[in-house]
Amino acid sequence: MATVIRDAQAADLEAIMSIEQECFTSDAWSIETMNSELLAPHTHYLVAIVDDSIVGYAGSSQLPGASQADIQTIAVKPNQRGSGIGKALMVALTQEAKRNGAKEIFLEVRADNTVAQKLYKLFGFKQIGLRKHYYQPDGVDAFVMKTALIDDVVLEPLVLGIETSCDETGIGIVRGNTLLSNVISSSMDLHARFGGVVPEVAARAHLEALSPVLEQALREAGVSLEQLDAIAVTNGPGLAGALMVGVGAAKALAVATGKPIYAVNHLVGHVGADILDQGKLTVPTIALLVSGGHTSLLLVRDLLNDVQLLGETIDDAAGEAFDKVARVLGLAYPGGPEIDRAALGGNPAAVRFPRGLTLPKDMAEHRYDFSFSGLKTAVARHVELAESRGEALAIADVAASFREAVVDVLVSKAIAACLDHEIPRLLLGGGVIANARLREVAIAKCAASGIELRIPPLSLCTDNGAMIAILGSQLVQSGYAPSTLDFSADSTLPVTTIQS
Amino acid sequence: MTSVTSTKLSDYAIAIDTSAGTTIAVLSLGQVLAEVNYLEPMTHSERIGSAIQTVLAESKLSAQDISQVVVGRGPGPFTGLRVGLAAAQFFATGAKAELVGVCSLDAIAYSYYLKNPDQSLPLLVTTDARRQEVFWALYAGISSGVPNRVEGPRVNKPEFLKEHLQGQEHIVCDLAITASALGQVAYYQSLTEIGPSKDIAPIYLREPDAVPGKAKKVSG
Repeated sequence: MATVIRDAQAADLEAIMSIEQECFTSDAWSIETMNSELLAPHTHYLVAIVDDSIVGYAGSSQLPGASQADIQTIAVKPNQRGSGIGKALMVALTQEAKRNGAKEIFLEVRADNTVAQKLYKLFGFKQIGLRKHYYQPDGVDAFVMKTALIDDVVLEPLVLGIETSCDETGIGIVRGNTLLSNVISSSMDLHARFGGVVPEVAARAHLEALSPVLEQALREAGVSLEQLDAIAVTNGPGLAGALMVGVGAAKALAVATGKPIYAVNHLVGHVGADILDQGKLTVPTIALLVSGGHTSLLLVRDLLNDVQLLGETIDDAAGEAFDKVARVLGLAYPGGPEIDRAALGGNPAAVRFPRGLTLPKDMAEHRYDFSFSGLKTAVARHVELAESRGEALAIADVAASFREAVVDVLVSKAIAACLDHEIPRLLLGGGVIANARLREVAIAKCAASGIELRIPPLSLCTDNGAMIAILGSQLVQSGYAPSTLDFSADSTLPVTTIQS
Repeated sequence: MTSVTSTKLSDYAIAIDTSAGTTIAVLSLGQVLAEVNYLEPMTHSERIGSAIQTVLAESKLSAQDISQVVVGRGPGPFTGLRVGLAAAQFFATGAKAELVGVCSLDAIAYSYYLKNPDQSLPLLVTTDARRQEVFWALYAGISSGVPNRVEGPRVNKPEFLKEHLQGQEHIVCDLAITASALGQVAYYQSLTEIGPSKDIAPIYLREPDAVPGKAKKVSG
């Protein structure tokens, strides 16, 4: 169901008119007007296609050699809105205008059409004038809007990314799709005695780490701040107090250096990490992101404008479950590697621990959701029962069986998502990917189901600044306008908000 | 890289404090050119970027004109306080400016003495520390523009303070912090032999709330 954008043809007229009449009930263009605009030599019309049918179109006009272009119209079928089709059309139109030498783009929009205005603002359009009663017969005013195009599209932008959403202070630098540096300072050791990430401890560590990490990232990349084309920063989801450290620092750096800033989504950054490894991201893909803070299953049709949350944990994150069970078993923090070690030689089938949200009644409502809280409790009960009976606990068996339950649910649900959506591609991300058994099972089950599996190197799977930089770089390369300086840190930022 | 020795010829400073609301000022040799004050305590990370941009624009300066960044080290609620400290560090790096730190309570004392230069009684500056406690510091006058802090900053319950200062006649001051006062304290410090402090560590005064975790019993 990927959106395809192509040039409009004369044969598209009927489909375009049908959308025109559906969207502009009182002031639709006539078929004659539409036809002549489609065929005019100075216009550029595009159609968006989903599932072989036209679901939107947009057109601009620009006289040969002119440095100004006008966006004449843009429309998306009402039942297809909200999935990034309008954005994709805008990207294509602005890129075409840039290629033809435009420095500015103008447009008019109905004063009462706030949805369209929001889209235009995303592309840097600002209101510069008002035309009274422009739209007839309704007598509605038009806002005249304009955007200035930043020189030429920067093909290989130098972007610095800042990540502080959890316990890793990460700053990475990329040029285009190439990784130049990726420096991470982790406060994991400080959390060890608490058995889990303490938000205040993490936030304090970020503040201390920021400047040395920035210095090292610049040094390793061999670049200076002046050379940057843009700054990207994680503004959610994550720990609020931790996010705010990075957001405050990034905004001040952007103002001090005069560089544009892009506020981006942490989870989508994890998906973008594959570009650093592969040079590109193959879409559509299912992505399974598993860490101490997240367990999310995503459907990615387009990294910049079409990411959908299929499911997520309804209680503990998978990494959290590892930490808590490690504590129950008397193992150290972080739990993942400790449980891996303890499970060596253990029998994964020794104890049949529950697989959360896999019963038919749960699958109806929570097909792609996860739950690890019951599993953690089951392990604790098992341990307490053994203790009360005075039996020796077979730690290796318990650890292996627990891990098997987690891995089983994660991989099964991810594969189900691939099969259900007929997307033969799975991308893994997040710190828990370090777990050897998870990778092993994913490799085997994907191979059995004919699913192509992508696992970026671990340094790109754990939270890092390079994945934020690469997402920023994609936005710059595609001509997206920077974020305005007033964006907030949003601990529950939805995955559909790729850029704030 | 917490500070860069400035080689700029200009004498423009930007002062940033987020120990309470968000307050930012641009100063030239202690003279305030522009200031913005957002009193609300929860919007630091939203405000900080455009607030810096606003004071620069109002003083008709670019970031690269700034030779010194003065940051309020608190005490104050941690989450907001850190936004200003993080911003000050990266602004200083980006603008290649010197970075100095000032105790935020000193700026409040400065504001008081500006209006009451001849006050000879001890001055108690307090700010809200939540949890029914106050951050406080005690001052004994001001000399050459620099408040003379004799005790604190500390955090205590008001009852403790009452007992602590028992019998000692003093003035209580709970003025709001302003970045202009913060910048002026740093300016007057720079005229002294010691100069302003390069220490920009946050003044937390409390350890993080966290107790080492233990597994809980689940079966009864």
